[in-house]
Amino acid sequence: MDDHDRLELARDKARRAWWRKARASSEIRRTRQEMDQELRRPGERPDPSLAITRRIFLHKSLLAGATAGAATYGWFPLVNTLDLAFGAEAFKFAWVSDNHLYPKNVNTRFVEKATRAVKEVQAMSPPADFLIHGGDLAQLGDPVELDLGSDILKEVKIRKVFIPGEHDWYLDMGAKWQQLFGPPNWTFDHKGVRFVGVDTVSRGPDYWTAKKMTPKERMGHMATLDGSVAGAWAGVGRDQLEWLNRTLSNWPKANPIVIFTHNPLYEYYPPWNFWVRDWREVHEVLKPYSNVTNVHGHTHQVLYNEIGKMRSIGMLATSWTWPYPPEGVPVLTRCKVRVDPGDHFDGVGWSRLTMTAAGKIENQYVMWRKDKDIFADAPWDSGCADNINQILQPRIADREWPYYGAYK
Amino acid sequence: MKGTRYVLTGVFLGLLVMLASSGTDQALAHKEKHTPDQLKAFEDVFMEQVKIGDLLFHGDGATEKKLRVTLSKTGMACAMCHPFGSDNHPYEFPKFQEQINKFATLRDMINWCIEKPNEGVKIDPDGDAMKALETYIYWSNKGSKLDPGRH
Ligand SMILES: [Fe+2]
Ligand SMILES: [Fe+2]
Repeated sequence: MDDHDRLELARDKARRAWWRKARASSEIRRTRQEMDQELRRPGERPDPSLAITRRIFLHKSLLAGATAGAATYGWFPLVNTLDLAFGAEAFKFAWVSDNHLYPKNVNTRFVEKATRAVKEVQAMSPPADFLIHGGDLAQLGDPVELDLGSDILKEVKIRKVFIPGEHDWYLDMGAKWQQLFGPPNWTFDHKGVRFVGVDTVSRGPDYWTAKKMTPKERMGHMATLDGSVAGAWAGVGRDQLEWLNRTLSNWPKANPIVIFTHNPLYEYYPPWNFWVRDWREVHEVLKPYSNVTNVHGHTHQVLYNEIGKMRSIGMLATSWTWPYPPEGVPVLTRCKVRVDPGDHFDGVGWSRLTMTAAGKIENQYVMWRKDKDIFADAPWDSGCADNINQILQPRIADREWPYYGAYK
Repeated sequence: MKGTRYVLTGVFLGLLVMLASSGTDQALAHKEKHTPDQLKAFEDVFMEQVKIGDLLFHGDGATEKKLRVTLSKTGMACAMCHPFGSDNHPYEFPKFQEQINKFATLRDMINWCIEKPNEGVKIDPDGDAMKALETYIYWSNKGSKLDPGRH
């Protein structure tokens, strides 16, 4: 063994130790694992066909570090594949979300990036069968912002479906958004797959009436990710759970279902509302189905998780990236690389999802920064492992009333 | 209105601190035991800065105006990339900062963020806005392990 080998070995060891520390167990993770155990019968896996690609194979050291003491099925899907038992036809669809458009004169950067995503979707060859827009088209729910977004999206001529984000909704409680894009939840079948759009944003408990907030103030609190005034706003709700149950009831249990939501359907750092509050009930509804994939936005970061038999993939934003929270990043997530805040194209983009002829879904993040992989390799370059010294506390403004600060 | 309140509170706390320490030889100030009132006054001075910093960090236009600073021209506020002051890692400074290509303090980095991603106007590195922002960032990261120089 020469010096170089020894150095590599030492680095490898350091990497592994770092990952272990970064992913030390937390309350959130325990809850999630309990839930997972409850939903999954012994020997079950969400689907048998998740492939370890060659690229992932090269990152064996990373793999070993992250799975120590964690789930037994720990690998990092770079390409997410899903078996289709019923010989589906090959097709692609595209996901764009979290554009957070301001009026044109305030922020041109976000307009450029939304436009770029839409152009790239339109240029896909072979074309995508449809585009799912996953919400947060606007920043402050302003009709000017939503109109701007709607205009930009007109560039895409293929079929488009939409679900709302909280930033689209809370100025006028979804009036403008619904006028432009229709109902916030829906379902359709396409080439052997049942697609369902679920609205996770519109059922926030009323935090504004008692405090006599103006619509703008209501929106301001909703737009403050690290604020707590809006409470646990993200949820599916009794009525929609019943709707979901009915919607799926005539679908064969083993046939593929893809659910689009704005927020992830598992508990993931509630202080930033990276979850839906009734995620447990959602999984109760999904329990009989063995082939469910959830694709979500809102978190502006690379995420992968499995709960029960459901797989969950987080999408990139076109606007900016959120950091990973101090705890609760799913063990199965291979984290996004640390991004350079000086490069507006780093860590952001959209997603190309392919249903192959072999009946598998592949997710391909289209991250815009050139010559940089979206996934982290060394922990010190990873968005979820480089902050192991970090301890955070919630903002002070929320702890006093009258409340004295939100985005205006 | 809020401005007046801050100034008045500041003056009041200043007086309180002076009163509490009056009659004590300045040079010996730290050899005397502190009274609970004094400790409270120190804490209040600190928390007042945390609150101003919190507002600036979350894009409060009124506070910016009061302090005559423009932290952003894109609509983006610091907290939109740094919820709970995360990913600021104030405990790693000073360190070599790649973006600025020099050995940098937290204040250098704050100004870089204001100027570059936020497209705002660089602030006085020793001014009130900078002190408040710095206070908020440190307070948010309270309890983190000091690890200067780490990249
Ligand atoms: Fe978003
Ligand atoms: Fe969102």
